[in-house]
Amino acid sequence: MIKLAIITCLALSPLAAQEIKLPANLDRLAAKASDVVDVTMDSRLLQLASRFLSDKEADDAKVKKLIAGLKGIYVRSFEFEKAGEYQASDIDPIRAQLRSPAWSRIVGVRSQKSGENAEVYLKTDNDKIGGLVILSAEPKELTIVSIEGSIDPDQLNDLGGHFGIPKVETNKDNKDKDK
Amino acid sequence: MDDLEQQLRNALAHVEQPPTLEAKVFAALARARSTSRPSRFVFWRFEAAAVAAMLLLAAVSWAGHEREIRERAAGEAAKARLQLALKITVTELSKIQQTVRTSSEQE
Repeated sequence: MIKLAIITCLALSPLAAQEIKLPANLDRLAAKASDVVDVTMDSRLLQLASRFLSDKEADDAKVKKLIAGLKGIYVRSFEFEKAGEYQASDIDPIRAQLRSPAWSRIVGVRSQKSGENAEVYLKTDNDKIGGLVILSAEPKELTIVSIEGSIDPDQLNDLGGHFGIPKVETNKDNKDKDK
Repeated sequence: MDDLEQQLRNALAHVEQPPTLEAKVFAALARARSTSRPSRFVFWRFEAAAVAAMLLLAAVSWAGHEREIRERAAGEAAKARLQLALKITVTELSKIQQTVRTSSEQE
């Protein structure tokens, strides 16, 4: 009995470590989606990936620095052939978790024209960012990103233009352009 | 002349061997065999041990190499997944930023 309890605890430990729990109903959406991206990287996998990032290569070094303080990255992205394959309520369990005082919504975008609905939440721990969640819902696309741990959004921006990651235009870039 | 003939006869005469001679020869042969056998055994034993050690070393080395290949594959896969996750994250943030910028410009 004790053995069973220990095995159960060990099996569930990665789930327990995940701060924002992605609801099980998201897995059902995968069956309807034409394209699915499911990335689950806990601290163990992040450490493993970090070992294969070179300190000498600038791009690798940036990513290594970025993930140094992370505990996990969880991404679910679904693309559908037609609109209406998912319900807004499918991500309600995530929103419910983000209502806790530690989390604050920093961006909320709702476009009637494109049907886009996007939100960015940040978790703050003693004036430091301790987590980031992106909920992006478009008529034919649903993306959920949950990053746990200490993260610097500027470092994320720096990744733009590398690894096939699109360059992010920041206010600084726009000011430079205006000059 | 007779004396010489006699001496020759004596020398070539059939002499009965002592009954213990045969036993002595066999005993000597047996002794020779018993002293040479252990050294041959030791040699073969050493050779077998050396081959076994080499096989063991090769097996350990091969297992280590296999583990290294598996670890490298897992690490490269983790790195690719990390890059994909970061790509999606930055792309989504970029799209949101763009939407916010567009809407603020329209206002």
